[in-house]
Amino acid sequence: MEQKTDKYVLSNGMVLLGEPMGGVESVAFELMLPAGAARMPEGACGAANVISDWVFRGAGDRDNRQLGDALDGLGLHRSDSVGSSHLCVGAALESSNLAEALTLHADAILRAHLSDEEFAPARQLALEGVLAVDDEPRQKVMLELRKRFYPAPLGRSTLGVIEDLERLDAGRVREIVRTRFDIGRTILSVAGKYDFDAVCGQVESLFGACESLDSGAVRVGTRTGGYTHIPNEGAQVHIGVMTDAVPFTGDDYYDIRVATSVLSGGMSARLFTEVREKRGLCYAIGARYHSLKDAAGIMCYAGTTPDKAQETLDVIIAEFRRLAEGIGDEELERAKVGLKSSLIMQSESSGSRAGAIGSDYYMLGRVRPLEEIKERIDRTTVDSIVEALKRQPFESFTVVTIGPREVRVE
Amino acid sequence: MSSKPMQFEQMTLSNGLVLIGEINPSAKTAAVGFFVRTGSRDETPEINGVSHFLEHMLFKGTDSLGALEVNEAFDRRGAQFNAFTSEENTVYYASVLPEYLLEITDLWAELMRPALRDDDFDMEKNVIKEEIAMYEDTPTFDVIDRCRTLHYGSHPCGNSVLGTVASIDGMTADQMRQYFARRYAPNNMVVACSGNFDWGRFCATVEARCGRWQPQTVDRLLKDFEGTRASERLGKPSLNREHICLVHTGVSAQDPRRFAASLLSLIVGDDFGSRFYWDLVDKAVAEAASMHFGPLDGTGIFYNYLRCSRVGVPRVMEIVTGIFRDLLRDGISEDELTKARNKVLSSLVIKNELPMGRLVDLGFNWMYLGQYRPVEDDVEAVRAVRVEEVNTLIRELDLSRFTQYSLGPAAA
Repeated sequence: MEQKTDKYVLSNGMVLLGEPMGGVESVAFELMLPAGAARMPEGACGAANVISDWVFRGAGDRDNRQLGDALDGLGLHRSDSVGSSHLCVGAALESSNLAEALTLHADAILRAHLSDEEFAPARQLALEGVLAVDDEPRQKVMLELRKRFYPAPLGRSTLGVIEDLERLDAGRVREIVRTRFDIGRTILSVAGKYDFDAVCGQVESLFGACESLDSGAVRVGTRTGGYTHIPNEGAQVHIGVMTDAVPFTGDDYYDIRVATSVLSGGMSARLFTEVREKRGLCYAIGARYHSLKDAAGIMCYAGTTPDKAQETLDVIIAEFRRLAEGIGDEELERAKVGLKSSLIMQSESSGSRAGAIGSDYYMLGRVRPLEEIKERIDRTTVDSIVEALKRQPFESFTVVTIGPREVRVE
Repeated sequence: MSSKPMQFEQMTLSNGLVLIGEINPSAKTAAVGFFVRTGSRDETPEINGVSHFLEHMLFKGTDSLGALEVNEAFDRRGAQFNAFTSEENTVYYASVLPEYLLEITDLWAELMRPALRDDDFDMEKNVIKEEIAMYEDTPTFDVIDRCRTLHYGSHPCGNSVLGTVASIDGMTADQMRQYFARRYAPNNMVVACSGNFDWGRFCATVEARCGRWQPQTVDRLLKDFEGTRASERLGKPSLNREHICLVHTGVSAQDPRRFAASLLSLIVGDDFGSRFYWDLVDKAVAEAASMHFGPLDGTGIFYNYLRCSRVGVPRVMEIVTGIFRDLLRDGISEDELTKARNKVLSSLVIKNELPMGRLVDLGFNWMYLGQYRPVEDDVEAVRAVRVEEVNTLIRELDLSRFTQYSLGPAAA
């Protein structure tokens, strides 16, 4: 498979990455601004979510309606999101509309009107979003889990908290935009069908004149951890479990990724087999690796009716611990094939490629070729995985449950 | 669109099983699917939920293959595989690297004649009941399901896909076996494949496994339905937002007006830039507001989903009914249609770049229309829709008439 990464760095530090894909008519782009939930000031949790809406409510020469209509006319599949480190805006679209889409997004980032009038609905929607997730315990349990697992403020809810959102005013949030939209630390990635020289020229003219800011580092506090139960009169107990793992940048990264795949890579993986197939405890059960730049964990979700909640949790924790006792050769082979195959399948989609190359660059300072990832996965062995698990055993678990009944956590 | 048209192939086995393929040698993957024309609308109340339960049971293996072996066989080839059941279809699919396509096709074909063992049936009942409980805790899903049931009244399209705890508890493995024998007949199924694969070898693989299956007489009651236009609300102590679903009668999957219907749903209720968006979400009157078109066999619906505070309900409903009234009186604008068209066309481009995205359209077009439609035909049909066609459809449907179901906080 031919693969290359285009790269261009503006004088202010902004990085432009591209990965051309053959045989597609679409292109996807993502702008990663260092304005994620963890980078919001104390007392402003949720501001990033307000900002991601507010900046599109009028920018440059266009008012709210005109900007919305212009974006809409391009047939974009928008993919705006707020993560721990970054606020990301982007879209997938037909490649002929890329230049116009970039112009409109640059307007929103650099020349948003941020009017008082449009602040109120942007904040109100963010507030309503927090309230709405209370009705979706499957989502809420994972937000609560991340909040308690990662040291503050890294695991902050990307939706925000009610008290902070209620106290935010337009002036304060404008100041956050001014100090956190650090173009010098912004990454723009494109994947699919594009002309790199044309994109470079356009990005230079759109963003080249921006000064780099000193938007500072995040000061990391301590972890809450432990067990938390949130009472809810629903039908199921929703269980979230998270335990430490080596981050993306760590030496044991590939061993831990393969280990996670042994645990929950496919339907023959251990969690699905033990929890669902053999015991019929759950419909939804799964674990996945989750990494920020400097901290990572394996997060697991299970939903089950109250009578089965304790057994479900006990089986999950036992399976995490059993991994270090050894892995079968065939089991390992399946885990590797599954990881490599999902990697290739994701590489067919321009949207997921744009996200992946941006994230690689932020984490590692470079984009890993698919061949390198495949080779590193292949190199893992039962011994190397068991050794990695011994260096960082699954010892302590952060647990959150939402539902009509509590569980016991050792 | 892509520069070279895809190559299409089709053949029918003597027992009626249809094989279709769309070959794209430059794709990195291939996707295969077994489409069975059966779902909750083909069930009686006594066995409600059997189609979906049966879908789970196919993964439990055959007389010569146990459940764990099935999962291992898929995972060994790195297949991304799953299945889904709707009111009228059960679809089994996998996306794989080209070198594994034939093995995975063979595995699916083998699984289409399952053992349906009693002990697996009893264990899986637990999983099905957990799935029912999970969706009960997902109001966005639950409210739409309840509204569809309310809308269809006695029409079989109102049958719940999952069934109820009572119908699942009461079901026997024998009832499932009888349903299977009636519905999983070769003349009631289509096997589709898209992406990078060899047509001749694909056909040989399917024929070797499925060629001896016996055809059956299979039917389905097809009738259109006006809808009950009833209104109900259920309060739940676990909820704090009001979740509202409105269902309109739409047009069927065979109806030439389906392209106009799908454009109309985007104009009214796309996530961004639609009438709902500007009048409800942009102004933060509702936090979510969308309309979707759900074409079915011989019938069809539009469903609208709205989420807001309890006190906000009257205002939201006033705005929504105002939008429906304005549409009936003034119709849509040329500009709205152009934007909706661009959205549909760009979705088609993005979705069809993946073999898995293409597979679903390929299979469903054959299931509903008995024909192959290249992407270009859909693009042409979307481009050809005129404002007046959408406006005629609006007048015929009369959006002011709908069935409403609300889930929200229990009264204080």
